[in-house]
Formats: sequence, C-alpha cells, structure tokens
Amino acid sequence: MEKTYSNKAIIVSLVLPGIITFIFAILAPIILSGYYSTTDFSGLGDFTFIGFDNFTELFKDKTFWTALTNSLLLAVGFIVIQHPLAIMMAALLDRKGKRAEGFFRAVYFLPNVISVVIIAYLWKFIFNANFGLLNNIVEMFGGKGNINWLGTGNAIWSVLIVLIWHGFGWGMLIYYTGIKNIDPVLYEAAAIDGCNNKSMFLRITLPLMKPVIQVNVTLAIIAALKQMETVYLLTNGGPGNETQFMANYLYKQAFSSFRYGYGNAISVVFVAICIIATQVLNVIFREREER
Amino acid sequence: MNDRVMKRSSFPIGKIIIWILLIAVAVIQIFPLVWLLDFSVASSNEMFTNGLLIIPKVIHFDNYVKAFVDGNFLLYLKNSLLINVLAVVLVLIISIMTAFATTRMHWKLSGTVRIIILLGMMIPIHATLLPNYVIYDKLKMTDTIWAILIPYIAFSLPQGLFLTSSFMASIPKEIEEAAIMDGCGIYRIIIVIITPMLRTSLVTVSIMTFLNNWNEFMMASTYLNTDKWRTLPFSVLKFTGLYSSNYAVQFAVMALTAAPMVIIYILLSKHITKGVAMGAVKG
Amino acid sequence: MKKLFSLVLVLAMILSLAACGNKDDDKTGDDNGTSPTTAPDDSSDDDATGEAVTIKVFTNLPDRTTGQGFVEQTLFDSYMAENKNVKIEVEALDDEAYKTKFKAYAAGTTMPDLVSVWGQPGFIDEVMDAGLLQELNAADYADYGFIPGSLDGFSKDGKLYGLARNTDVIGFYYNAKMFQDNGWTVPTTYTELLALADTINAKGIIPVAMDGGDKWPLYIYMTDLLQKIDGTGVMQKTADAIANADFSDPSFKKAAELLREAASKGLFQTGFETTDYGTAKNLFTNGQSAMFYMGSWEMSMATNQDIAPEIRDNIRVFTMPLIDGAQGKATDISAWNGGGYSVTASGAQKEEAIKLLNYMFKPEGWTKLAWENGVCMSAQDFSQFATGNETEVQKQFTELVKSATSLSGTPLGDMGTSEFKTQSSDLTQEVSIGVKTADEYLQGLAGASK
Repeated sequence: MEKTYSNKAIIVSLVLPGIITFIFAILAPIILSGYYSTTDFSGLGDFTFIGFDNFTELFKDKTFWTALTNSLLLAVGFIVIQHPLAIMMAALLDRKGKRAEGFFRAVYFLPNVISVVIIAYLWKFIFNANFGLLNNIVEMFGGKGNINWLGTGNAIWSVLIVLIWHGFGWGMLIYYTGIKNIDPVLYEAAAIDGCNNKSMFLRITLPLMKPVIQVNVTLAIIAALKQMETVYLLTNGGPGNETQFMANYLYKQAFSSFRYGYGNAISVVFVAICIIATQVLNVIFREREER
Repeated sequence: MNDRVMKRSSFPIGKIIIWILLIAVAVIQIFPLVWLLDFSVASSNEMFTNGLLIIPKVIHFDNYVKAFVDGNFLLYLKNSLLINVLAVVLVLIISIMTAFATTRMHWKLSGTVRIIILLGMMIPIHATLLPNYVIYDKLKMTDTIWAILIPYIAFSLPQGLFLTSSFMASIPKEIEEAAIMDGCGIYRIIIVIITPMLRTSLVTVSIMTFLNNWNEFMMASTYLNTDKWRTLPFSVLKFTGLYSSNYAVQFAVMALTAAPMVIIYILLSKHITKGVAMGAVKG
Repeated sequence: MKKLFSLVLVLAMILSLAACGNKDDDKTGDDNGTSPTTAPDDSSDDDATGEAVTIKVFTNLPDRTTGQGFVEQTLFDSYMAENKNVKIEVEALDDEAYKTKFKAYAAGTTMPDLVSVWGQPGFIDEVMDAGLLQELNAADYADYGFIPGSLDGFSKDGKLYGLARNTDVIGFYYNAKMFQDNGWTVPTTYTELLALADTINAKGIIPVAMDGGDKWPLYIYMTDLLQKIDGTGVMQKTADAIANADFSDPSFKKAAELLREAASKGLFQTGFETTDYGTAKNLFTNGQSAMFYMGSWEMSMATNQDIAPEIRDNIRVFTMPLIDGAQGKATDISAWNGGGYSVTASGAQKEEAIKLLNYMFKPEGWTKLAWENGVCMSAQDFSQFATGNETEVQKQFTELVKSATSLSGTPLGDMGTSEFKTQSSDLTQEVSIGVKTADEYLQGLAGASK
C-alpha cells in the first residue's frame, strides 16, 4: 500500500501538468518581474540595474500609500457593510422567504454573472452627474440631482457601492447555504426556551456561521487587495489618484508613464502584501484549520 | 421548516417590513439591468431625459442588429464558449490530479507543492501581464488560443485545487485502499473512484472557473491581436470606440454580450447558486 | 453530474451552431467586422501580380466607418485594389488601449509594420531612442506639401522617423442655433466667456462639455490660456520650465487660476473631471451642452449622420477668447501636429509598409480625402482641394490656421517624459477641481520635472 502511494513516477506524472502551468503562467513572469524591478527599464530599449532604488522610491510614493489605504478601506467596506447585510438578508431569506426563496436567491446573484466590463460601463452611466440614473432618482425625491458621484471625495464611495453591489449576491449565497446547514432543531429548542428572533440570530446563527464567516472575510480581503478591473474602467484611479488601487497603479506606472521597472517593483511589493495578508489571516483563524 | 418558530414571531407588520426589505434589495440588484435593457431599445437622444426609465417612441431593435453584426457577435460567442469550456475541462483534470497527488500520495514535498500552487490565489493576474507578453512573444504564442487559455487555467487552478483537495480530504480512504488491495492502479482509482465522488465539488469548480474567465478582458486584449480568438467582453470595448456617438447601440451591445451568460444562468440558476455556495461553505 | 453533462452538452451545441454560422467571419483577419478590408483580397489571390504581402497595421482609429478611421480604411482599400498582392491587416484600439498595447508590442520581438505614433517627445522620444522606428528618406517627401515644422516632432538628429497626419487646433465648438435662439453671442474675452456660462447655466443647459476624464484636454486648455496670456514663446517657456524644474513664471500661475476659476464658476459640466471623451461629445451632439471644447478633428461632427440635423448643421467654432490685460492676440492659437504614422524597424514588411505610407500621404491621398469628407485638416497643404462645399466649421478652422500668428504645441503634456506627462495630467485635473491650489500645482509640476 505504502509503495503504491509513494510511487515517484506516478506522483511526478500527476503533479507535473499543474506545476508546469504554474511555473509557466505565474512563477516565470513573477521572477521576471522581480528581475525588472531592480532596473530602470522603461519598457523599451536598454536599461541599467539600479538595485533597490525603485523600492526606496516606492515607500516614499504617496500614491502607493493611497492605493494601499483604498484597498484596506474596501476590505473594511466589504466586512462592515456587505457581509453583515449579506448575513442578514440570508437569514431573512431562510426564515421568511418561503416559496420565493429560490427567486430571490437567483435575483440577488444575477449581477455576478455579468461581465465586469458591462457592469463598469453601466455604472458609469448610472453615476453620470448630468443624466445618470442616480441623480434622476435624487431629483425624484426632491433633491437637486447634481451630485458629482465620481467627483473628488465621492468617487471612492461610489467605487465601493459598485463593488459591494456586484459582490453582494455571492456573499449572500454563501451565507445562505451556511445557514441552511444549521440544524433546525436548534431553533426549535431555542424557541421553546422563549428566545426571540433577534437572540436566536445572535446566539445560534452567528456562532454556527463562524467558519463560513472566516472564509468569506479572508476572500473579501484578498478581493479588495486585488481589485483592478472595476476601478480601471470606472475611474481609472481618478480624480487625480484618489481611487487608485495597487493593481491599477502598477498598470498605470508601467503603461502610461513608461516606467516598467518601477511598475514591477510595485507588483513585487503587491504580491508580498497579498501573501503576508493571507498568512496573517491564517494565523488569526488558526483554530479553524486545526479543527 | 420551522413552522412553530414562524407562527410565534410572524405578526403582519414585521412580515410586511421583511418583505419590503427583500423586494427592495431585489430591485436594487436587478434595476440596473432593467435600465440597460430599456436603453438598448431606445434612440440615443432619448437618454438625456429625467425619468427613471424611458418609454421609447419607437422600439429600436436595429440597435441589436448593429450590435450583432458589427460586434461580430457569433464569432466572439464561439471563441468565448470554446475557450471557457476548454479551460474548465483542463482545470478540472489538473485539479483532480494535483489534489490527489498532494493529499493522498506520500512524498516529502507534497505540502510544499500544494501551498505553492495555492499561493497562486494571492497573485494578482495583472502583475503578470507584461512579462507574460514577453514570454509568449518569444515563443510565438501571441494571438493563439494558448496565449489566453494557459493563464486562464493557471489562475483558476489554485481555486480548483483548493476546492477539490478539501473535498478529497473528506472522502474516506477505505474504499480506495480496498481497491489498491485488489490491485487497482492509481490512475484507475482517480478515474473510477475519486472523480465520481467529487462530483459536487467538480460542478462548483466548473462554475467558478467559468464565471471567472468568461468575463476576463485584460489578458484577452493584450495577448490577442486579431479577431480570431477574441472573446465577448471585447465587443463592449470595441463598441465604445466604434459607436462613440451612438449610446443606444452601446447599450445594445452590452445587453447582447451579457445575454448568453444570463440565459445560461437562468436555465441553470439552481445548480449554479448551489454549486457556488457548496464550494465556499465546504471549502 | 448529469447536470454538468447537460451543461456541457448545451454549450457544445451552441458552439457548433455558432461555428457553422460563422465560417466567413472566421477568415476575417482584420480587427473590425465592418470594414471590407479583406474582401478585395479574397478574389485577387489567384491573379496576384507580385509576391503575396501582408502588411500589419496598428492604428488608434477604431471607428472605421466615420471620421479619420473611415479615411484611413478607404485608403487601405484603394491601395489593396491597386496592388492585388497586398493584404492589409488592421488592428485598431482606442488611444489609451492603443498606448498600452503599443508598449507590449515594443517589449516583444516583432511589431506590426505600420503604426500610429504621436510626434511629441512624451511619446515618441523613448520609442525613437529605442531604435524601434525605421528611418524614412526625408527627401522623398519634399514635394508632399507638408507644412513647415509639422515633421519636427517626428525627427531626431536630422533623421525622419514618421509622418504627421494632421494639424490640430483646439477650440470651443458651439451650437449656433442655440446661441441665436437665446440671444447669446460668441465671447471675445475670458470674462465674457465666464459671464456667458452663468447665463447658460441659468437656462439649465451645460455651457461647455469638457472631456476632463482623459485629462489631456485640461492641460491643453492650460496651454491655450498660456498662449492667450503670453502670446508667443509658450512652447519654449514650458520646455525651459521643465528642464529647470522651475515653474515660478507668473504666467503659469495665472493660467492655473483661470482654469480653476472657469471650473468653479460652472463653465464645465458637473463631474467634468470624470467625464470621458464619448460622453462629453454626446452631451454636445445631443443638445445638452451649448459648447464642446475639443480639437479640430471633431469637425467631422458636422457631417456625422448619427447626429440630428438641427445640431449637425449648426456647429461652429471659436477659439479661446482674449484675456484682459494679457498679451496674446486672437490669432495666437493652440495648435499642433500630433498624431501620425511610423514604420517599425522590426516589422516584417518594412519596404512594403513604406510604400503604403507614401501612398497614403501623397497629397491626393490622406489630405484630399480628409478634407473632402470634412474630417480634419491634414499636416499638408490642403488648399488645392477646396471644393466650395466645405462645412462652415471647416471654413472657420481653415481661416484660423491661415491667419495664425503663433502656434502653441502641447508642451505641458508633451515636452517632458511620459512620467512627466502622467503627473502633469493628474495635477492639471486636480488643480481644475480645486483639490490642489495653483501653488501646489506648480510645485507638483516642478517636482515631476526632476
């Protein structure tokens, strides 16, 4: 038995396709990235090695810190707004949805199947300060309807709204399934003990959902760090660099400013931050791993 | 299911509020799409009105005709389907193989290999855009199906591996051990015993992979130079240039581009939602 | 599992259906489904006279059916009709996407044969320095009628690396009918312009549609103001300021303040800083705004069938009005030779691409077609192609260029490196919305120059 399970040839044949794909599409470009990050390569022509100059510059770069702050803000937005909302709606749907459960679930999830390109363009129209849907709604309720949704100060919140809106269905669905997996007997017992809905939610639903919440929170933070497409298409980091995110910033540096070396330095730091964040979360949620 | 609980707590006002809440969220989630459809049959200058929806004087289906023809819709749809189906199938195969090797087989580096590939989940794809271009260019792979298929597989693999290996861990070893006793080889065990038992997770992996890659456009527009392999999201980008002064057609092309996935979703919504949820909860 | 299989089955079915319905499209090699690029070629494969040649063109004109893209495509089509052995493959992307992809190409081993370039240091210097462009024989173009100086941006050390496509002038397009109906008059001073903005705003109409999302119209607006403040020497002054990292000259501050004043007084639409090109243009072409600040290539609006006739026929233009107490005259305009073409050094079909380029820029090529279609003013002498049927706005632009006493260039974006351009764009956007003060803006520019 042990012999079969440790047959080197079989092991190699099984892992090779995965490893090759990984090396080819992820590892090699990242190593190349690391290499370029120590150069002043513009993307064209010759370059020289400048050691860690790019990195020292990066840590002094205000926009980089803005981007990082925005990622964190987005993560907080997910955790504080999207997820509580998702859990609540999931609980409501589970307890009160009755026969319409399937319908609501399907509708809530719908935005997730639509391309980010479409979502971003659509919201650009919705946010338009002059003829957008949102300002029309504001006007309907008696407002002036000239709010500059993507303007300075508002832009980051508008981006948050879109991302929260887009991902809401996904989170809701996962929590919904988590709740469905809770044994109804627990609720019945609690009801007999005279618990009301609120305390049932707090004492049964939430504690039992802990592992699901942990996974979701981890995924949300990673998603917030990696955010690119929506921002790229919606604001491209503007106005100024207010809504800059790391992925978008490295793209901008490499492609608009012709600073490919610097862009790669950002991407190296970016990768490091993503990995560290995940490690930290893993440590925090360790007990779940040891389950 | 918990009728008794329901009865105790459901008095009309609370119930109404809850229903209003459920419906309100549904409206928020779906309204932008209704808006999209509405505008796609209007004419461009009707879009500057103040109402929530416009009632077009004439329903302009010709917007869709333009979008369909000029957008090369069928070609892009074919490319999208082909590339995504291939990506899904390959991700499934590689995930199962790697998951088996790293969770079941005994070898020193199994944990390391698994963790390294899982790290791929952390890697932002956009960091690889230009170095990858250089690599593909050197290998003469730009503008071929491989140029996007390979990164699509690579970036879906970590998630696929994650899900399949956590499902695999929950499959009792007794069955396959019995099979090995009977002289069954590893490959046979994977195909005949493991794969069927993984089916729920495989559905999930398929759906996740499909959803992730279907909408990708950054790599598609960088690695591909001609229409030969371009995918659906590209038609939206193309139209903003092509019809910059005709909003209605832009809306039509967006609606058209979204349609295939929405139709697939409506047909299979139960399985898709179930698949996604299973994945995340079990994972 | 069954469900998964049925899903795959359904997909496979759609796939095969799509494949059947689409055999023809499959062969289309060019970027754009609408253009008949390959059509003449299919029939000519047999009777080809020379060796079959495929020229790859990479262009920033994605709209192949109107405007400049149409002119370009028409030239390609006629070239293919005349040279049966040549097939032209077009890849077209919008400016921003174009530049990104251009960069990717540049990093690779082979580039398309003929590419769009901008004859401004911020774009072309790095490309020329890297040896990516093929030197052209300047003597070939002696009788092409290029306006003096128009090829300077495409040259380095006396060597020519590209040809300019257009002479671009920036101005305020306005809706003459709307002006007339409301009794508004074309402003002659900046103060009048801002006063007019108040009047128009009071009507619930947007005064000027501004594409601030792309940022470059904003720094061109700045340049336009500088031109009206200083009259001449704006290009040199800016170049010096960048070289010395010193923007303390009072003209810069004044211009920045005037830009901010315009924005704060509502000359532009709400949210102009995030409005993209298409949206800004649509505001104007749908009668939502009275004016539109954009370059002369948009003169083709006057012939664009997608635009309602009552607007299309009433498009006129004026340039930046005079500033009280400043030296600039009405004839000191903001104009430049920007976009153009180069042949790449690494392309597979250098010789053929040069032939195509020369064909395009024969005076009766681009210049004539662009002028006759009311698309834009080429960088060559187009006076010989006057038809008498020009649109009003075409005539106005011709007059502007003819009577110009000085041209500004686009120094704030293009006299520095790409890095400077990116920062200068961001900073101009920020100063226009008041996130940065004029002083912070100038400090920022100085910082970006280092």
